Amino acid sequence: MTKPIIKVRQLHKYFGPLHVIRGVDLDVPPGEVVVIIGPSGAGKSTFLRCLNFLEEPSAGTIEIDELKIDAQEPLRRQRHHIRMLRQKAGMVFQQFNLFPHMTALENVIEAPLIVKGLSQKEATANGEKWLEWVGLSDKRDEYPSRLSGGQQQRVAIARALAMEPTIMLFDEPTSALDPELIAEVVEVMERLASEGMTMVVVTHEIHFARDVSDRVILMADGGWAEIAPPEKLFTNPDEERTRQFLSHIL
Amino acid sequence: MSSIASVSESRSRSTRLPLILISITVVLSLLYAIQHYAGGPIRLAVVSRIHDVVLSPDNSLIAAGASNGNVYVWDTQRGWRRSILAQHRRSVIGVAFTPDSDTLISAARNGEIRFWDVQAGEIKQTIQTNTQLNDISLAGDGSVLAVVGEDANVHVFDVASGQQIQTLGPNPNPALAVTVNAKGTRVAADNGMEIQIWDIASGSLVQTLTNYCEDETKTTEVACEKADEDWLGHQKQITALAFSPDGQLLASGSADTTIIFWSLEEGKVKWPSIGHWAGVTAMVFNPDGQTMLSGGDDNKIRTWRVTGGKSTAIFEGHLSAVNGVAFGWAPEMILSGGADGTVRAWETANQKVTFIAWTKKGLQPIWGQVLRVWMLLSGILGIVSLLGLRRMRPWGHLLALCLYVLGPIVVLGLPILEVLIYPLSFVEQLSIAWPLIVLLAWYGLIVGTLMRQPVSVSYEAAESSSLSEQLMASQRTRRLRSAIFIAAVWFLIMVVLYSVLRRFNLDVAFMRHFFSFIMGGAWMTLRISALSIALAVILALLGALGRLSKNPVANGISGFYISLIRGTPLLVQIYIWYLGLPRVNIVLPAQVAGTLALGVNYGAYMTEIFRAGIQAIGKGQYEAAEALGMSPIQLYRRIVLPQAFRIVIPPIGNQFIAMMKDSSLVSVMSIWELSYRAQKIGRQNFRSLETFMVAAAFYWVLTVIFQFLQGQLEEYMARSERR
Repeated sequence: MTKPIIKVRQLHKYFGPLHVIRGVDLDVPPGEVVVIIGPSGAGKSTFLRCLNFLEEPSAGTIEIDELKIDAQEPLRRQRHHIRMLRQKAGMVFQQFNLFPHMTALENVIEAPLIVKGLSQKEATANGEKWLEWVGLSDKRDEYPSRLSGGQQQRVAIARALAMEPTIMLFDEPTSALDPELIAEVVEVMERLASEGMTMVVVTHEIHFARDVSDRVILMADGGWAEIAPPEKLFTNPDEERTRQFLSHIL
Repeated sequence: MSSIASVSESRSRSTRLPLILISITVVLSLLYAIQHYAGGPIRLAVVSRIHDVVLSPDNSLIAAGASNGNVYVWDTQRGWRRSILAQHRRSVIGVAFTPDSDTLISAARNGEIRFWDVQAGEIKQTIQTNTQLNDISLAGDGSVLAVVGEDANVHVFDVASGQQIQTLGPNPNPALAVTVNAKGTRVAADNGMEIQIWDIASGSLVQTLTNYCEDETKTTEVACEKADEDWLGHQKQITALAFSPDGQLLASGSADTTIIFWSLEEGKVKWPSIGHWAGVTAMVFNPDGQTMLSGGDDNKIRTWRVTGGKSTAIFEGHLSAVNGVAFGWAPEMILSGGADGTVRAWETANQKVTFIAWTKKGLQPIWGQVLRVWMLLSGILGIVSLLGLRRMRPWGHLLALCLYVLGPIVVLGLPILEVLIYPLSFVEQLSIAWPLIVLLAWYGLIVGTLMRQPVSVSYEAAESSSLSEQLMASQRTRRLRSAIFIAAVWFLIMVVLYSVLRRFNLDVAFMRHFFSFIMGGAWMTLRISALSIALAVILALLGALGRLSKNPVANGISGFYISLIRGTPLLVQIYIWYLGLPRVNIVLPAQVAGTLALGVNYGAYMTEIFRAGIQAIGKGQYEAAEALGMSPIQLYRRIVLPQAFRIVIPPIGNQFIAMMKDSSLVSVMSIWELSYRAQKIGRQNFRSLETFMVAAAFYWVLTVIFQFLQGQLEEYMARSERR
């Protein structure tokens, strides 16, 4: 097995007295697409957000592309490392979170310009490339308020990709979309997977999980209930908890 | 096909009623015009501005020359019966009585001079000069008459024979004023800013009174000012002249608002004096030579003690410029005639008007001419616009609406309010204004019917294809219609406000006189406000970030700053900056201290605005920026603050408007800004209300301009929100 690009060890997260993530481990080799499903409140989003420290883990270590951060040590002292890690991990949000005061192109080139320090020319060329990749070249000068939800999410994906991350994190990317707009976003994600991007996706989109992912994780009560390839997990799961969950959604 | 037919039918039905109403208006105004030109009774005629007023030496008659060419004569003995003497073809510029009171001389603009037998009311003699006349003067003994006009000559006539005895000139400039001394030996006329005096018998120039420097070695104004000496004489056109009865002094009044008493013996200024707030129009000496009267474009009459050239009393009441003054039939009476069409008699003891004589029966407001033109124009335009609707689409309708909403308010509303401020009883006012009120109601009826018309669908139907286009056009029209009405309401309120202000009896000439001086403080006000707001924005930004910070020091400092500054009055803070700092040996210029005081104060209030603006930015924005690897500074600078700024612009604009007006508080530091100047001038002249009105108007104008700019900025900032 190749060296994992994401390596999580004994990750714990408390919200006050609430033990949300109970010491999980995860190894993801490069190019793998991992889908995390599970009932609401299971800690899926929290786990994903811990991966790039939008939530501060209470304990455990996270290593992404050989950059290791130990949550046990004061995170303030590692904030430079955290920023480096975030540049390696692109994130796509449920609510898109585009910058409303910037046009689509400005959204995409903002971080390359000011975080990576690219020149305006480089960043613009790069940004236009990614907008074209998500199929929105004609919308480059539109403000987010004039875009549909699906278009906004595609701009958000282009924005994350413009930083040229090594992994991509998707936090329920299609949950806020109207049913007929889901397809265009899923299509982009599939294309991304087929180009070999390492992806961790929290979603309720079972079709995506079944068709695209390499592994599916069922998360329940802050831990892994079952990890299996999709064809096994969806048809012949080992665990009773999995069967119970699937009976609700299928 | 059927739908088009029904549409055109509805159009003809919908336009018929206003068409009838407007047609009636046109017919009425035509009848009215015919009646006017046929010489029938005229209810609304031009008021005759009075150009000169004189009392007969036997005190029995007052004569006034008016701009309509008439000379009005009131009999002081027999119940103020009034008669009209002359029908000059141009406005009468001067009237005079001979010493025996039997002959009245009137001179008109077109060069016609008439001699009247007052008792018989007949013309004794007419002299036609070949020039436009500006002023006349009769010698005190009635022997000679001098006239000046646009031909720049002084013409002198022998009154007994009516023959011209001298033509003096031509001079470089046409004279506006002329005066003959009591014995009829000398005549003085202005030549722009200097005065020339001739001997009538020989026709030779005796003396020229002109500007000169106090230090007589300096010959030019520049050299004089360099030597810090006074440049004596008039600075603008001379407009009035009068010899003293003893012939020792000559008084000259000028458009530069000054009156100068010249000593003829020395040919020098004896007493320069300032009184009127605008140009001097008329002067007359009391026969005893001790006092003098003057009238001015500032609507006021002043009495003067000749010795020393000091003004002793002001008489206020004329609604327009005072053009003629005369001493009355008793020592304590004076007479005046003005451009407001009235002759007034005043008691000098209490400076009150004892009687007002109008130049015609009842008051004749000046809007008659305007009204006639308006009625004709509006009627014709109304018909054209209504008939042309098919081609003009909704615009024809809107044009008619504009004409009938805004027009009557201007043409009828203003005169009605003007009548209301005349010092008359309500019944009298009503008797003058009722035709206007009826007309206003008539236009109201037309507007009412126009308003009820379905506006655009029917007008557009013939040409536009889709229903949505029709609906959009109708919506546009409706929006425009409401905009017209909003403008009309604004205007009406302004008119009412204006009439209320007129009731304040503000000294307009005074306001005009000091307008530029008060406005001189505007730049200072603007500069202090702009610098203060810039300081306040910086402080507010720092304060808000401190307030939101988890750092206890930053949080504590900004918390204390807000608490202290918001907890104490601005005026007190200004005094502390101004009086406190010098005690610790920090002496700041007043402007700097004032700017600091205002900026620090507003910064505290604006901190809370900024805090709210920053807090209004959603958590998702922070997360998205952090996930892209931005540092906190990058995040605030690029993502949070730009969005927060857009939110806080309306409240900050509000604060700026408030600050522009609060900047008047720094006047306590004797900064020469707008309010301070208004206050200073007002107190010096006991006209505080006037000066503060000027200041208030300026603040308002400034606010309106700023509001407009703010609107533009907001629209620009909201470009990302538009769908």
